[in-house]
Amino acid sequence: MVIFMIRDITIGQYYASDSVIHKLDPRVKVVCTFAYIISLFCFSQLSGYIIAVLFFWGITKLSKVPFKFIVRGIKPILFMLVFTAMLNLFWTSGGNVLIKIGIITITEEGVKRTVFMALRLIFLIVGSSIMTLTTTPNQLTDAIEKLLKPLNKLKVPVHEIAMMMSIALRFIPILVEETDKIMKAQLARGADFESGNVFQRIKSMVPIIIPLFVSAARRASDLALAMDARCYNGGEGRTRMKPLKYNGQDIAAYLIMALYITVIIITGRYLPL
Amino acid sequence: MSIKLQNVNYIYGMGTGKEKQALSDINIEINNGEFIGIAGHTGSGKSTLVQLLNGLERATSGDIFYNGQNIYSKSYNMRNLRSKAGLVFQYPEYQLFETTVINDVQFGPKNLGLPQLEVELRSFNALKMCGIDDSLLDVSPFALSGGQKRRVAIAGVLAMQPEVLILDEPAAGLDPAGRDEILGLLKKLHNENNTTIILVSHSMEDIAAYVDRMVVMNKGKIVLDGKPEKVFQFEKELEQIGLGVPQAARIIHQLKDAGADIKGEPVTTDESIEAIYKWLKGF
Repeated sequence: MVIFMIRDITIGQYYASDSVIHKLDPRVKVVCTFAYIISLFCFSQLSGYIIAVLFFWGITKLSKVPFKFIVRGIKPILFMLVFTAMLNLFWTSGGNVLIKIGIITITEEGVKRTVFMALRLIFLIVGSSIMTLTTTPNQLTDAIEKLLKPLNKLKVPVHEIAMMMSIALRFIPILVEETDKIMKAQLARGADFESGNVFQRIKSMVPIIIPLFVSAARRASDLALAMDARCYNGGEGRTRMKPLKYNGQDIAAYLIMALYITVIIITGRYLPL
Repeated sequence: MSIKLQNVNYIYGMGTGKEKQALSDINIEINNGEFIGIAGHTGSGKSTLVQLLNGLERATSGDIFYNGQNIYSKSYNMRNLRSKAGLVFQYPEYQLFETTVINDVQFGPKNLGLPQLEVELRSFNALKMCGIDDSLLDVSPFALSGGQKRRVAIAGVLAMQPEVLILDEPAAGLDPAGRDEILGLLKKLHNENNTTIILVSHSMEDIAAYVDRMVVMNKGKIVLDGKPEKVFQFEKELEQIGLGVPQAARIIHQLKDAGADIKGEPVTTDESIEAIYKWLKGF
């Protein structure tokens, strides 16, 4: 039933724990995740993959996040993964021909490329999952705000954008709960959300959507008023309760990342396999 | 028309690792024509209980019988149940959505599949009963005052003419006049149409003044069940679960403890005044 589905939505996929990775400065995690993703495209031979996997495995162990949570991140892209794999498998020529049925030819090169491509995609996803699993959405917006600060010079309202992001994130669970409540109230008035054709079903959403918009607008204006009452006037001269500060382990994390990148580049250049 | 709950349990978040038992082993029978008050502290399970009564939530275990029929049996029509047991949620004004007041009230009866004439008749009657002036029928519900919105929303449920009317904190956030109006409306419905009314509230004053029977819940269990004057005898127990008794009843209890010879068990303010007056006259 619809109401039960709505309640199960979880926003963000933060996994609470007290690992070293959780305690890292969120900026480190954002920067290193980007670096890791880029590193995945810096090699094309087996040794590179082995190093990338080992590195990832090490980070996962340190983060104390159960393996199944990480794998869960792959589910939404499964279709895309299979699709690209198929394309690579059937449309790559070169190398020994392994199977030939009609117009379908599968070559050695194709198999190799398919496997590597899939691995690359998977690590791209799970690599960023590690970041979102160990960082709360609020920490992430803080990090993005701090990292993008130089853009202020170009008149980009970085603080305001970050503020909007965190407000939006904060309101998602509230609105989900509200939707659940309104849905039940309309069900109690005999509303039917499950039968009829597509158009009837879309029409049956009106009694949910309108009260939801009204309440979102009401909440937004309440919030604006509350911010005004506390003299909020944007990022200018604003200090933080928990300022982001690099400490020893953050520097160490950057160094480890730099080491990893160096190793990846060197193996990519000089190792034949 | 009776509702009977048998060994009902309800657990939130089954299978998520964060289970929370909202109701445990509830057994209660609500008879036809009763005006029953459900009281309890925040989180005591009252709201969950009323959502079970009209089938919006499904009990984790146990059975609910409506007029002797098990609502969880496969052949039972849940939508039919929802039309017979009308539920008014907390802050019902937040579910208004139509362009005009009259259209909004018609939403419920229309969903019942009634002929248009019947729909209109019921809607007009419901609005009249709730004290909404005819001049407001074609006004946008969003242009009304808070108290008016609340009454329109209640009219939206009344227009379905339920046999049982369940209200979750209908007077929350209203001024004393608005509260008296809404609770007075319930009393009228109960007296004139013999509608069974289930009123959820944590205001002991409201409950004392209006209901015939009172159920007190604590931590998902029914702890007290009986006439208000009997339930209010358990002042200590009520205070322990954070409820207390109406102020007037507390004064009576204290006078009695001090040796005053007051007759009966007055619970409402008016009854108490009268009882104290009689006692003073006896001097």
